[in-house]
Amino acid sequence: MNRIDRRSILKYSAAAAAAATGLPGLVRAQGGPLRIGLITPLSGPQEFIGSYVKNGAEIAVDQINKAGGIMGRQVTLEIRDDKANPAAALAAARELLGAGINLHIGGISSAVVLALGPVMQQENGVFVTCGAGTEKMNHENYSPNLFRPGDSPDARTRAQARLMAQKYPDITRWTGLVPDHEYGRTTWGIFVDGLLEYYPSIAKKKPEILEPILMPYGVADYRNSITQALRQQADGVFNCTYGGDAITMFQQARGFGLMQRYKVVCDAANEFLVARGLKAQLPPQWTGMHYYAEANKGNPISDRFVADYLAKTKDPEPLGWAAEAHASIYALKQSIEKGKSTDTAAVIANLKGLTWDTVTGPRTMRAEDNQAIKDVELVYIEPATTDKGYKVTQYVKVDGKAVIFPATPGKKLTLRTA
Amino acid sequence: MQAADIATLLVNSLTWAMATFLVAAGLTLVFGTLHILNFSHGGFFMIGAYMAYSLANAIGGAPSIAVYLFGSLVAGVLVALLGLVVDRLVLRRLAGVEDAYVLIATYALLLVCEGSTKLIWGLNYHSVLPPASLDGAWLLGNAVLPKLSLFIIGAGVVVFAALEYFLNRTKPGRLVKAIAADPWMARLLGVNVRLVYTATVALGFALAGLAGGLLVSNQTLSPTLASAFVIQAFGVIIIGGMGSISGAFLGSILLGIIDAFGQWVLPGLPGLPFFVAMTLILLLRPQGLMGKAKH
Repeated sequence: MNRIDRRSILKYSAAAAAAATGLPGLVRAQGGPLRIGLITPLSGPQEFIGSYVKNGAEIAVDQINKAGGIMGRQVTLEIRDDKANPAAALAAARELLGAGINLHIGGISSAVVLALGPVMQQENGVFVTCGAGTEKMNHENYSPNLFRPGDSPDARTRAQARLMAQKYPDITRWTGLVPDHEYGRTTWGIFVDGLLEYYPSIAKKKPEILEPILMPYGVADYRNSITQALRQQADGVFNCTYGGDAITMFQQARGFGLMQRYKVVCDAANEFLVARGLKAQLPPQWTGMHYYAEANKGNPISDRFVADYLAKTKDPEPLGWAAEAHASIYALKQSIEKGKSTDTAAVIANLKGLTWDTVTGPRTMRAEDNQAIKDVELVYIEPATTDKGYKVTQYVKVDGKAVIFPATPGKKLTLRTA
Repeated sequence: MQAADIATLLVNSLTWAMATFLVAAGLTLVFGTLHILNFSHGGFFMIGAYMAYSLANAIGGAPSIAVYLFGSLVAGVLVALLGLVVDRLVLRRLAGVEDAYVLIATYALLLVCEGSTKLIWGLNYHSVLPPASLDGAWLLGNAVLPKLSLFIIGAGVVVFAALEYFLNRTKPGRLVKAIAADPWMARLLGVNVRLVYTATVALGFALAGLAGGLLVSNQTLSPTLASAFVIQAFGVIIIGGMGSISGAFLGSILLGIIDAFGQWVLPGLPGLPFFVAMTLILLLRPQGLMGKAKH
């Protein structure tokens, strides 16, 4: 007969209490699959982009599981819909954290990611964003529990401004088509900062910055904003409108001949979303990509990713959000294996400064502000008479280190203004 | 402000107004007759637009104006047939139930529309080239008047005139109005009220499908298209007076003008004048511009 002593009673009581109440993660952590939360829009206006995130994450998990998992444990995704809405994202995050899941990826909306930062810090979780564009997560809203393995908004947008100064030194009068929300205004501000730095230093000219045209968000008519833009005499335009809004705006601008007035159109972040929607109606433009598969041919990770993506979705050209999800899962894998632990503190410690291989080549997570340093990929797209309806005619890779702002976590970003 | 600016803003206002009216017309017709606020109306407008897109896609390139109009009519007919199914399966069961149940049931229908659209056409964004004859703009002095905008304005006016003629000058139309006013008395007089209700639903859905076809080149197609229009369509029928075709017509013009000129005056606050105007109108005239006050 086993002797029941005071120490055993205390030990078993503590385990039972942990299982029943506060610490289910501790109980489950030692065995079974490693569960990772995926919180991304699966309904609403951003569902389309969320579907790329989900597919990219699922491909990474399949690849990892086929190779034996992470430290011998198979990986499963616990998928929740954030509707690109902070309230829904918080509810999903609290549910997953409560179930003992401490590692999460997803969150492509800036508002969602900024809302999740404090919760992750409070509840001891980690969140890796797959494309949120807010610079605040590296500045005044910095949280040690939030990571961005993709482009920082300052690196992406300043790379675009630098490219404009290099390729179009004579186009010095700029305006913006800017959605009236946080992302739009901040991205425009960073682009202006870049123009004011790079035109004098590269083109040896001072740029003239016109008032940006503020666009309403999520509406079906942009004609009044287009009419405002017609009254300006700008040569270059920076477009921050996004997805379906951008397509509607470009369609309606066509009737006014607005885009033909500009000598160059630089789009912030639509990748091929707008090109696929507009096809023959597409105004030729530069756009920023998290990942352009064609330019990464020969990178075995990219080649395998494209093949797996095609097999899973029948889409031969995965867009950047899928690549960001893929890179996020592999970042977690590397950090867990490096620290031999899935504990939050260990994962955070090992994500900081981590260099890992991705579909775009190696990236390094800057330790000071949890922002990856990666090259910025920019493409010039034009309409084409192919089935696809568009073609890439120029591709530029900009060294991320050359354009990203230094890390200043906790401090508000200060920008040059015209 | 110069004359050219005023002309351009007026055309913008009327384009927004007539696009909204085209979507709202069927909504207010069904509400006026059956007293059912069909939240899914925008969903059937969206399905009409996707049907017209499929037709244009099958032909390839920019459709001719004849094909564009034919595609819109086909979309109208097909959505009317869907309306008959919806009437049989859902709307008939909502007669006499509380408004909250009607809203929930038709909201569920909207979700079915969105889900079906995703299944059939996918999540990708799509667009349709306007017919070559509607591409570009006419210049009136310095005013830029896009041809597609003028087409939308014309389509809205034609649909309004046709509906007004039908409801006020034809026997079936007067029957619809009579039943809307007093279905009990109509039954006593031997009118087949159920049949008129069904025909009205079919007409309301046909208007949704027709609007989808006529506006298919006006904006992006995505499974969230319904939401983009349904709010503004509800806005104009509330402002115009629930159930009034002419109220929806006037309400859309008024809000369109306020939105366009408001954005000119307050370019840093896009959309604000629209909501302020709606609030003020409802404060001053809660029953809407053409609605009758309840005593």
